[in-house]
Amino acid sequence: MLKVLLKKQLSEIFRSYFYDQKKNKARSKGTVIAYMVLFVMLMAGVLGGMFAGLSILLCGTMVAAGMDWLYFTMMGLLAVLLGAFGSVFNTYAGLYLAKDNDLLLSMPIPVRTIIAARLLGVYLMGLMYAGVVLLPAIVVYLVVAPFSVGRLLAGVLFFVLISLFVLTLSCTLGFVVAKVSLKLKNKSFITVALSLLFFGAYYFLYYKAQELLEVFLQNVTVYGERIRGAAYPLYLFGAAATGDPVALPVFAAVVLLLFYLVWRLLSHSFIGIATASGATAKKTYKAVHTERKSADAALLRKELARFTASPNYMLNCGMGILMLPLLGIFLLIKGDVFVEVMEELLPGFPGAAAVLLCAVMGLVAAMNDMAAPSVSLEGKSLWLLQSMPVTPWQVLRAKLSMHLILTLVPTLFCFVCTLFVYPYTVGEGVSAALFLVSFVVLSALFGLFLGLKMVNLNWTSEITPIKQSAPVALALFGDWGYALMVGGLFFLLGRILGAVGYMLCIFALTAVLCALLLSWIRKKGTEIFATL
Amino acid sequence: MLKIEHLTKVYGEKRAVDDLSLHILPGEIYGFIGHNGAGKTTTLKAVAGILRFDAGEIFIDGKSVKDAPLDCKRELAYIPDNPDLYEYMSGIKYLNFIADIFGVSADDRAARIADYAARFELTDALAQPIAAYSHGMKQKLAIIAAWLHAPRLIIMDEPFVGLDPKAAHLLKGMMREVCDNGGAIFFSTHVLEVAEKLCDKVAIIKDGKLIRSGTMDEVKGDASLEQVFLELEGDAC
Repeated sequence: MLKVLLKKQLSEIFRSYFYDQKKNKARSKGTVIAYMVLFVMLMAGVLGGMFAGLSILLCGTMVAAGMDWLYFTMMGLLAVLLGAFGSVFNTYAGLYLAKDNDLLLSMPIPVRTIIAARLLGVYLMGLMYAGVVLLPAIVVYLVVAPFSVGRLLAGVLFFVLISLFVLTLSCTLGFVVAKVSLKLKNKSFITVALSLLFFGAYYFLYYKAQELLEVFLQNVTVYGERIRGAAYPLYLFGAAATGDPVALPVFAAVVLLLFYLVWRLLSHSFIGIATASGATAKKTYKAVHTERKSADAALLRKELARFTASPNYMLNCGMGILMLPLLGIFLLIKGDVFVEVMEELLPGFPGAAAVLLCAVMGLVAAMNDMAAPSVSLEGKSLWLLQSMPVTPWQVLRAKLSMHLILTLVPTLFCFVCTLFVYPYTVGEGVSAALFLVSFVVLSALFGLFLGLKMVNLNWTSEITPIKQSAPVALALFGDWGYALMVGGLFFLLGRILGAVGYMLCIFALTAVLCALLLSWIRKKGTEIFATL
Repeated sequence: MLKIEHLTKVYGEKRAVDDLSLHILPGEIYGFIGHNGAGKTTTLKAVAGILRFDAGEIFIDGKSVKDAPLDCKRELAYIPDNPDLYEYMSGIKYLNFIADIFGVSADDRAARIADYAARFELTDALAQPIAAYSHGMKQKLAIIAAWLHAPRLIIMDEPFVGLDPKAAHLLKGMMREVCDNGGAIFFSTHVLEVAEKLCDKVAIIKDGKLIRSGTMDEVKGDASLEQVFLELEGDAC
């Protein structure tokens, strides 16, 4: 039984490598090999290479200082972090949200067998993430420290135990996520906030890593002794990898005990959580007086509700909403340096800083491309809009309005921040504002144009139109290309036209493009929408 | 109320609906039956203004669906066979959205939502996201939304699928209420017993062509609707 389920689980995990969902057919052998090679290159080459570099940086100094255990504590913790956090949402989705849970539970299969098969997927994921950190770390250690069979065996055993520990931690976190999701209100905003917090922390640490490592390596013995004194389990954790006769059995016993406890927990709670999927925190309905709104206002609210209901939509198509105010605040703090550098570097281009500030704001505003997938996101609900007494143009206008509201407000906030940093002349200020507004309008129209030209209503996961569709990618790169062109062309035309003249010309060009796209959407776009 | 004249819809080389004509008068519940792929849904979608057709005309209260689509849509409500609603909205937000689109006043919508939700025992679930609804609850919500703007013509594709017996009984009563107030209902169904008991008139379609229509007595005579349907299906084979 388990063998059959494992086969099914593995075929699901690797399905995307063998099967093209978009074309609904199996991939060719060449494509499968290309995908595999690309995946191995990404995991082993890029991620593995990164951690191999880190291992080389740390290992020599630490082994020389007799701090082998600290080296493995650090690399082991990194492996656990990457493995557990890399697969926690996968664990939650794979264990509790699998679409065939009901089907399998209705069959004469022991629940434990179903969990075991599901856990294999989680284990492989954790093994992969832990492997890209630990395997290079062990190899580097065996090269730097004198090689011995004992060290090799200890390293391999440590890797196996870490992978089991990652599985235990992933399952525990997946269980917590599942429990919390059943009770949570405003899930989408919390998901977005946590994701942004995670990305923020990641980039902060990445930014600071070099500096922190240097300080750490200079005082490795001092830090090592302090850690050993204050957190002895961390010492045992690292020492296990070096083959310490006490630490290794203790670590193995703890990992096995924890896994057993989590296994018991899952066995007892699996059915309850898996069959409760879809149930959310109960909200009580209270009838309240609702003012009548116009059809246009209702359509706009619907678009905004769609956007704010989906963390995927917000994170992939609305990062500009957050990044534009952050850019504005950053410019308020450090903008004078930017302006000074620009003026020193480009003495022959008066007003260059104003143009480049506009281009930078355009680049960040282009991170908002919510209009691009908005038509495809109607999916199977399209019949609603088509059967309502509203014109296709009203529907499309609501999609454009959503994009404009969510992008223009933060863009103008950012622009106002630059007013405190750069002494715009009246002409520069007006032309910059005109350009920015026209750029945002162009971005919305261009996204909607692509969304209508390459519409895809037949998706099973919203990720497809949001993240894996051509309109979103083309809208993003097209807008970036345009913003870069605005900055770049200035060096060709700036001397002739001056900053104000140049920006007014760019504004005129943008306005013409807007008019062309608007005309297309009103004539052809509405026709396409009506006949979808 | 609804006049379909020589309706033709072609998909590639297949004539999904072929020169179909039907007249539905105010006060009539009109059943539309046929085998899978006969052209029922295509016809209903064309009437609802969702699907463009290749030939013929559809008039709702004398207005052409082609020439005055918005006027026609204001008069009707459409419920598809599988109502995919906005799952990211709560039930009440969805109903308010529909009410805003159709311009239902604040007082009317409050009264109707309270009434219909209570009838379908959906009041407590209105604050929940539609994603958490069962198929039957979604169907009930789609029915409430359809009735919300008091349409004169209601088009339904298999409306009884997924409804519990109590809700199905309730829907039948509501259909009759609409017709008693001068409205009309045009719906497709595979449940011939329901059609036989509920409908004033019935139309049978096969391979896009109307093969029989009229009052229930005209269509079935002394036999059952099931017998007539199966005979007609056999004849046409």
